[in-house]
Amino acid sequence: MLELTFLAILPLGSIAASYFLHKRKMQYSISLIVAAGHLLFSYLIFSGVYQPAEGEFIRFDALSRLFLLVLSHVYFWVVLVSYSYLNRPELVNEEKGKRLYFMMLNLFLFANTLAIISNHLGLYWVASETTTLSVAPLIYYYRNEESLEAMWKYLFLVSVGIAFAFIGFLFLALSASGTPLSGQQLLISSFTRFATYLNPIWLKASFIFVFVGLSTKIGIAPMHPGDIDATSNAPSPAAALMAGSLRGTALLGVMRLYQIMVPTATAEFARTIMIVGGVFSLFVAFVFMFKVTNYKRMIAYSSVEHLGLITLGIGTGGIAFVGAMLHTVFNSLTKVVLFFNAGNIHRAYKSREVNAVWNVLNEMPWTGWLFLFGFFAIVAMPPFGIFFSELMIFQGLMSKPFLLAAVLFFLFFIFVGMSKTIFRMLYTARPADAQPPVPKEKFDIFHFASVVLLLLLIVLGVFMPSRLYDTVILISKDFGISL
Amino acid sequence: MENVLSILFCLTLLYLVVTSRLKTYVSILRTQGVLLSAIMVFPFIQHLSIHILLIPLMSFIVKAVIIPRFINRIVIDLDVKQILEPSIQPFNFLLLTVASMSIIFVSAHVLSGFTPIEPIPFASAFSAMITGIYIIIFRRKLIVHVVGFLILENGIFLFGTAVAAEMPTFVELGAMLDVFVVVFLMGIAINKISSTFSRQDVSVLGRLKD
Repeated sequence: MLELTFLAILPLGSIAASYFLHKRKMQYSISLIVAAGHLLFSYLIFSGVYQPAEGEFIRFDALSRLFLLVLSHVYFWVVLVSYSYLNRPELVNEEKGKRLYFMMLNLFLFANTLAIISNHLGLYWVASETTTLSVAPLIYYYRNEESLEAMWKYLFLVSVGIAFAFIGFLFLALSASGTPLSGQQLLISSFTRFATYLNPIWLKASFIFVFVGLSTKIGIAPMHPGDIDATSNAPSPAAALMAGSLRGTALLGVMRLYQIMVPTATAEFARTIMIVGGVFSLFVAFVFMFKVTNYKRMIAYSSVEHLGLITLGIGTGGIAFVGAMLHTVFNSLTKVVLFFNAGNIHRAYKSREVNAVWNVLNEMPWTGWLFLFGFFAIVAMPPFGIFFSELMIFQGLMSKPFLLAAVLFFLFFIFVGMSKTIFRMLYTARPADAQPPVPKEKFDIFHFASVVLLLLLIVLGVFMPSRLYDTVILISKDFGISL
Repeated sequence: MENVLSILFCLTLLYLVVTSRLKTYVSILRTQGVLLSAIMVFPFIQHLSIHILLIPLMSFIVKAVIIPRFINRIVIDLDVKQILEPSIQPFNFLLLTVASMSIIFVSAHVLSGFTPIEPIPFASAFSAMITGIYIIIFRRKLIVHVVGFLILENGIFLFGTAVAAEMPTFVELGAMLDVFVVVFLMGIAINKISSTFSRQDVSVLGRLKD
């Protein structure tokens, strides 16, 4: 019961508190305390110190524990910087957007936690749809035409997508007719146990619908556009939250269904679909990396790339699966760093266009260097974590040399395209008639969060805590992979 | 009886395709809400109880009363033009829908040979889903897109009853609440869009691209 208090009931209370208390400082303090409690409990559960009680609808297997820790980690840093973010001088008319900010953050935490720990696919669906509802007002934060369009597209595309996922879950129920599971609740644990009885045709149909539907939320091409618009127009803490945790939760839905399919003959079919989706996402990221003129969109395309890589790793199996699981952790943390610093740049230069940004490294040294290191981290430069996880994915791909070659080709040119844009922002000299964007940059809480996260990425990559590795190995076992 | 109601449900879809008046769209939504609630109650007509009636009652309130009313209000508030300019000839649209429905019905019949599904509700559900998607594709007004989305949702709802998937009550209620809030948010967004852009069709949504 204690775990539910910290993971769900306190966030629920915090939603109400943020609605009724109008003082921003109060909203912030309560949200931060709840976030810290959530982080503490996720960590205790992850490390095995605290054994949570499991029920019919709630469970804490290795996969849930890992994703829960990632969620509360990302969420904690986002809440921590939010007060300072909201108190900055306004860019456009965003005062109205601030009113519901903390309430929506808390709703996001509540719904996302529920989606991660749910053992019932219906419950997962409801919670997952609620996360969409909670981020939609956050996307409309700036109250301008672009953010309005982004919110509409995100809300519409993801709602239709998630409706498709629901059809997929109903197909799963249909696949159980005439088996011991017939007429039973859609519990992941019992479906995994009796998976071999399920009707393969309906199971395949189910996977197609769930994968395509949730792709709108994961950002797997070609269903990615709503996601790109949303992350690039949302305020940077919300964008960090979406890139760092929301996409992962949607991926979890696909993984749950795949987990059910693993012991059956349809597993190969699911793997093929995931590999195709992953490679196509890499291809799309490769094309658009050279086209984008907006640096926040560029980071959003980087999410398409990395989620594609993760899906590819899951589809490939073996050591690549282990790499993919570690990659979800590292990618989430790195995206937070990138979006925080991109947000700083946006504030200072008042534009998201690459052409309007120059000389960041000298004008804003803290932001500039941290953005550069964040870039190094995301393009898998050692010693950052992504280097190690990508290496594992490549190792797994060794058995499919053509695929490996294609992946490396795309990744290399994504690196080229991204570095071209980033170095241009960092190094272009100040135009003759331009004023400095900020007087003199001071070290602020965004920089603090970025430094901590970058250090964490190095420590996790180089020293690989045994608890993390063991959890990932446990997840692999649940997915029928023995190394 | 379930089959009769499902057929009626299908007929509303055909009417939806040929009409070009916004008012009819809303009344069809209302009719579908009533039909869906009736389909849910029917199997339990012999032994009714509060517990069984809860979900159909909620679905009646949400799907047949609140949502149509809400959409009606948006239409009146924003003074949306009642006649829709189609981007496809009504006859072609009807032809396309009828063709798709026929394919769905035939495949449902074939499928029912080796899986225990009720072919008519099953096919009606899929017809609604496909019609909803067609409406989203072929109509230009954003408010009609919302109606298309709701038709899609109605289809899924019917599909859920056709396969008799067991869902706990709180999940069913949560799902209904979610759909309602989505429509509510979409309504607010349309309001904002019409005050920002002075039009309410898809042509205003073209700013974000690479």
